[in-house]
Amino acid sequence: MTDKILTVRMDAHPSDSHTLSRYLDTGGYEALTKALNDMSKEDIIEEVKASNLRGRGGAGFPMGVKWGFLAPAEPRYLVVNCDESEPGTFNDRQLTERDPHQLLEGIIISSYALGVSHAFVYIRGEYPKSARRLQRAVEEAYDAGYLGQDIRGTEFSLDVTLHLGGGAYICGEETALLNSLEGRRGEPRLKPPFPAVEGLYAKPTIVNNVESISNVPWIMTNGGTAYAAIGPERSAGTKMLSISGHIARPGNHEIVMGMTWRELIFDIGGGIPDGKALKAWIPGGASAPWFVPDEHLDTIVSIDDVAANGSMIGAGAVVVMDETTNVVAAAHRIVRFFAHESCGQCTPCREGTSWLEAVLKRILDGNGRPEDIDLMLDISDNISPGLKWPPAMTTICPLGPSTVSPITSITRWFRPELEAMIAGSEGPVG
Amino acid sequence: MRVPLAEHDTVSITINGVAHDAIEGERLITAAEKAGEYIPRFCHHDKLKPVGKCRMCLVEVEGPRGTALIPSCTTSVSDGMVVDTSSEVVKKAQAGILEFLLLNHPLDCPVCDKGGECPLQDQALTHGAGESRFVEEKRTHIKPMPVSDLVLLDRERCVLCDRCVRVADDIAGDPLIEFINRGSHVEINTFPDAPFSSYFSGNTVQVCPVGALTSVDYRFKARPWDLESKRSASLVDAMQSSVEVHSSRGRILRIYGAGNDALNDGWLSDKDRFAFTAFRSENRITKPLIRDGGAFREATWTEAIEMVASRLGSYVGTEIGAIGGASGTNEEAYALSKFMRVVVGSPHVDAIVGDGIDPHLAAAVIPRANVNDLDTANTILVWCSDLKETLPVLYLRVRKAVLAGARLVVVSPVATGLDSIASHTVRYRAGSGPEILRKLSRGDTAHQAVIDALGDGPVVALVGRTSITEDPLLPEAVAAFARALPGARLMPLLARANVFGALDMGLAPTLLPGRASTGDEAAVAALEEKWGPLPEVAGKDTMAMLGALIDRDLRAVVLVGADPIRECPDPALAQSALEAAEFVVALDTFVTDSAAMADVILPLAAWGEINGTVTNLEGRVQRLQSSVQPPGRSMTLTAALDGISQSMGSDLGASDWKIINKEIAETAPAYSGMTADYLMFEAGEDGAIVPLPHANQPLGHIPVDVTVPVITDRFTLHLAPSLYDAGALTRYAETLKGLVDPVAVRMHPKDAASMTVLEGTSLNVGGHKLPVVLDGGVPERSIVLPHNHEATKAIAATPTIRVETLGGDA
Amino acid sequence: MMSVISHWSLENQERARSILASYPVKRSALMPLLYVASLEHEYASLEAMCEVAELIDITPVQVQSVATFYTMFKREKIGDYLISVCTSISCHLNGADEVLAAVEEASGVASGETTDDGSVSVEHVECIGACGGAPAVQVNYELIEGITLDKAEALIDWLRDTKPTVLLADEMQQLFGGQRSFDWGSTEPQGATRPVPAFGPYGSTNGSARGGR
Ligand SMILES: Cc1cc2nc3c(=O)[nH]c(=O)nc-3n(C[C@H](O)[C@H](O)[C@H](O)COP(=O)(O)O)c2cc1C
Ligand code: SF4
Ligand code: FES
Repeated sequence: MTDKILTVRMDAHPSDSHTLSRYLDTGGYEALTKALNDMSKEDIIEEVKASNLRGRGGAGFPMGVKWGFLAPAEPRYLVVNCDESEPGTFNDRQLTERDPHQLLEGIIISSYALGVSHAFVYIRGEYPKSARRLQRAVEEAYDAGYLGQDIRGTEFSLDVTLHLGGGAYICGEETALLNSLEGRRGEPRLKPPFPAVEGLYAKPTIVNNVESISNVPWIMTNGGTAYAAIGPERSAGTKMLSISGHIARPGNHEIVMGMTWRELIFDIGGGIPDGKALKAWIPGGASAPWFVPDEHLDTIVSIDDVAANGSMIGAGAVVVMDETTNVVAAAHRIVRFFAHESCGQCTPCREGTSWLEAVLKRILDGNGRPEDIDLMLDISDNISPGLKWPPAMTTICPLGPSTVSPITSITRWFRPELEAMIAGSEGPVG
Repeated sequence: MRVPLAEHDTVSITINGVAHDAIEGERLITAAEKAGEYIPRFCHHDKLKPVGKCRMCLVEVEGPRGTALIPSCTTSVSDGMVVDTSSEVVKKAQAGILEFLLLNHPLDCPVCDKGGECPLQDQALTHGAGESRFVEEKRTHIKPMPVSDLVLLDRERCVLCDRCVRVADDIAGDPLIEFINRGSHVEINTFPDAPFSSYFSGNTVQVCPVGALTSVDYRFKARPWDLESKRSASLVDAMQSSVEVHSSRGRILRIYGAGNDALNDGWLSDKDRFAFTAFRSENRITKPLIRDGGAFREATWTEAIEMVASRLGSYVGTEIGAIGGASGTNEEAYALSKFMRVVVGSPHVDAIVGDGIDPHLAAAVIPRANVNDLDTANTILVWCSDLKETLPVLYLRVRKAVLAGARLVVVSPVATGLDSIASHTVRYRAGSGPEILRKLSRGDTAHQAVIDALGDGPVVALVGRTSITEDPLLPEAVAAFARALPGARLMPLLARANVFGALDMGLAPTLLPGRASTGDEAAVAALEEKWGPLPEVAGKDTMAMLGALIDRDLRAVVLVGADPIRECPDPALAQSALEAAEFVVALDTFVTDSAAMADVILPLAAWGEINGTVTNLEGRVQRLQSSVQPPGRSMTLTAALDGISQSMGSDLGASDWKIINKEIAETAPAYSGMTADYLMFEAGEDGAIVPLPHANQPLGHIPVDVTVPVITDRFTLHLAPSLYDAGALTRYAETLKGLVDPVAVRMHPKDAASMTVLEGTSLNVGGHKLPVVLDGGVPERSIVLPHNHEATKAIAATPTIRVETLGGDA
Repeated sequence: MMSVISHWSLENQERARSILASYPVKRSALMPLLYVASLEHEYASLEAMCEVAELIDITPVQVQSVATFYTMFKREKIGDYLISVCTSISCHLNGADEVLAAVEEASGVASGETTDDGSVSVEHVECIGACGGAPAVQVNYELIEGITLDKAEALIDWLRDTKPTVLLADEMQQLFGGQRSFDWGSTEPQGATRPVPAFGPYGSTNGSARGGR
């Protein structure tokens, strides 16, 4: 059984996996040739549907189903989301730096299937190397006739434009991304309408993550069913997990889901450095509620198992914390992130996230009050009513509710530590 | 044809357990409000696109996966929708939002202009937790900063509801105020040194739900509970936008747009909103003035009236003319019309000061469009003055129709405010309008796209003179062309206050009250039945009257709120005419340039001080209500004319506006039934369009394709009207007078090059030295000057103009 | 319309032209144009915003509204070398606060400030996608992963002493880095020349760059 799809080439050819020549001599663009010559647009969409690939950008929405929603109006757009800014995540960076043609081939096949003649890749501004490597790949592809007019002698034409972000996590949210790409503030839009109906320039648009699209060439070559056969039924295929924090082997690990968290952290991740004990981990990026060893080490690493346990795989960022971690400080760091990245258009997120940050900061500064715990939970409740999972929201987009995850996590799993910190403090000054 | 929301299907929804009808596609927050369930809100505004940002309007709606909290302002109702607006979850969420909004809000309600009418304050009282749980430091900003000459911004109080930004961007099309920064640092601001100088800036004050945007003029003047509010109509231009006049202790303090969906949608131009400040200026005349040598002396009304009566009585009636009458009510116009025709015995009356179009076209064209027709038109043809400058709220309505899908064709000698949203613009050199018209009507292939667009009806055509220098007959020819377009309706345009009301009251040499022609014998007979004999000679229009004064065919003239020296196309002619006149009486609110040449000036009550009815550019009649007393000894025109008549031994029957109002409904055919009582008790505050269904309009004017000459001189002149010209409403309004634009000659760079003049240097234009601005948007061999500015007021509005370099001829 | 930028370098005028050509709607060019304008003006100055506004036919405040939404459009002049220290969660867990303190100490300025000589600006930033190589910093957006306190100080000294005109990530990683998020593969000949973000597509790097299509 295959256990690596996306990282095979870069592992085998560290020095030049990003070049067209290496890409070609490792079977690159054969999937495109097959798709263009032997497959109808419908066939391609069917293969993607059959693959059961669930979007890798965080929401886990089945890619083929989303493609099926694309409205018929013209023109249509494909936008690839490479804004990757969720703390803990860096797999799109590797995919774009190390194998840009794989992504590009996925874009070309997808565009062909979706009837798109202009695709965009939105790359976060802090990834200059990704942008350069992708740009070079785009130029190579134009020169080799994989992009531009009448690709490979067919009537299919495609332009690809790279668009650099300006430093705003919220632009990873697909509708904020579209606003940003339109030269507007990166504020999420109200949904509906969804991008598949009214997206870029109010035209039908598919937004997919880099990793999602990078799987497309393999699916064309090997078939959707082959992809679906990998891993658990509802978490098909491989997943790039970015593991970081207190871990012996940090980095991106392309895995097949279905193992336990214990196996992931201790076997694949090599365990906790310096023989320290595991205290907690975040299974899917800063937005996700935390897991703790007593409860979750034997939980299965799959989209549904993690969800059933009140968290998410998200974009696949695993952040590991050892026993020395000050969890209040860690929670503050995450809350601070969301407060900093809130677009500010809706009241609960704009006001609530910075309030939560201020309270946590005050506690860390030794000025906490006993009532601050309930206060934080109530503020959280006003952002995400009921503090449920998946979160309910009073906000426009899920960023606001994401702020709540670290709060509920530390109050749930580490309340005594939080209380002790407050007990040792002097209360607010002034 | 585009279908307005009101014509959609009805659906059934359940709110808090009770079933209600709602219009399909309507927003839930609106449907709930109609059903008697008011959902609190900050960002929602009926006339603005939904943004769902404040989250105050969250309600619970049942869905396939259980109930969900959703914003009612962004959700459209659908059949069978089940809504809870007051569950515990909803209440908790709303209280939470309120607390969030108050975190950084200053506690300065006692000194805030919004105090007492602030939803944030009200809701804090009803929903608020009382004590703040926020012990951190509040955000602070430097105290109020001007965002324009008229509007102040206090960022601390702002709740970031996006209303002002939407007004600026979506409604006005002037995106000059925006969100700056991100997250909790977001604020509203303008670009440094680029103020929010929009003609519509005051609307942001009106829509701001809190006291963040306030009017410079209104600041600290009153508390809402002291205000008395009266519904009225603006008399700044012929749109006559519906307004609420807020006054207190004998002073008008502010004007708000009233939500008349058929007319102004609640919006106003800043001139509508702030021109009232002219009427409280020091320059108001408050006592009758009689010329005494080179100066005026104050007089009593008795003395002044006797003098006017005896002087007017000393001439044959037909030796007297009256110019004006467009700035007051219909009752005043009617009284003037009757006074001149019956008491004085003169047919020489004209409310149009030589700057208009044929009165029959203006008053009685068929088929005539009303403003709401814009919303269902597929194509709108605008061939008139720049609406943004002359009829700014009509501009908003055209804009709204276009943004909602109508196609717009703008034909004009210069760029206009509507060009940026037009699907087609046709530019022509001033004076060559007839040539373009010929091309369009003959199907010139060079204009095929425009011709095709005009072929997609229904078409609404807005027709008027693009400039006072344009041939007054061109609009007639344009109207004739437009009338033949599919589903066409026409809206002939004049801009002045109540000019349509004045024409309808017979203040034109060829019109009798109620849209009848003086050439219509039956109409004449019917009127003589009521009024007694009418003068038998034909009436003269303003330009003819001015000429006749010089020729001594006319010997006296009555000026009623008219300033021909500034307003008519030939200032020198007007000047000479008034000099030649043996007797001039001016009834006005200010000593205008023309009034300054009068023998007697009678002080009139102004807008805000008068009751009556007025008629706008679509024939809509609304009530005008007085909020305050006229200053000093100023009087209404009706009272003044009534007094003069009595002194002349006649009874005008104009002692009270209500008596005249009734007489109009009985005497003026198209106004049959249109009484103040009808407006008050049946039509409602939004007024009604004349003629009412049962009424008869004797005159129906079908435009004819007249031949209009093309002007081919070296330079043709376009005197562009501008909102902030030097008219009385701008120059005497303390709020607006600073806004008058600097004057410059605009010309095409090629012409400038051929004359070797550079941008910023000066030219001699019609005898005036004016700075040059190069503008590729001006057609070649054309000169554009702003109309009615101090620096250009003496320039003759002829179609051609001499342009010389300062050294000499070019 | 291009005349508003006639004072730009020919190279940047050409970039602006090609950027405008790569979007179906010109407002989309706002951010890329603002990057190029920032190269011309050293930062996203008010003049830069006005020029971009004119290029894409919107108002200056609309450009400002967008520019101030993003952290990478600097609104004042910054140093030749912009040191961005990641202090987000994974770097935090691996000692980012100490790295920031070391950078502040070595450069003599606090986060958010620029040295008097205009050589170095320091900022702490949220996650830069280098968590596997935490703690990480960027110099003019070129990455160094796995930096230590000593190396952080050495980095500042190196920047000041050698005043590199081109910053190559591979070279800096070699000199000052440690653990990486992943194998970077072959070395990359391109790097940053300015504290304004250096991107191939927008041509502000040392290498050659062609337009977006
Ligand atoms: C606050 C927020 C941030 C997000 N950031 C990213 C991101 O950086 N990259 C990404 O691919 N998707 C991100 N998403 C998810 C996108 O909205 C979208 O679901 C995704 O790009 C769709 O691609 P996929 O279906 O291939 O996963 C984010 C969502 C939210 C709410
Ligand atoms: S939740 Fe936060 S990030 Fe999302 S729309 Fe609201 S303010 Fe913006
Ligand atoms: S009124 Fe609905 S979100 Fe503001």
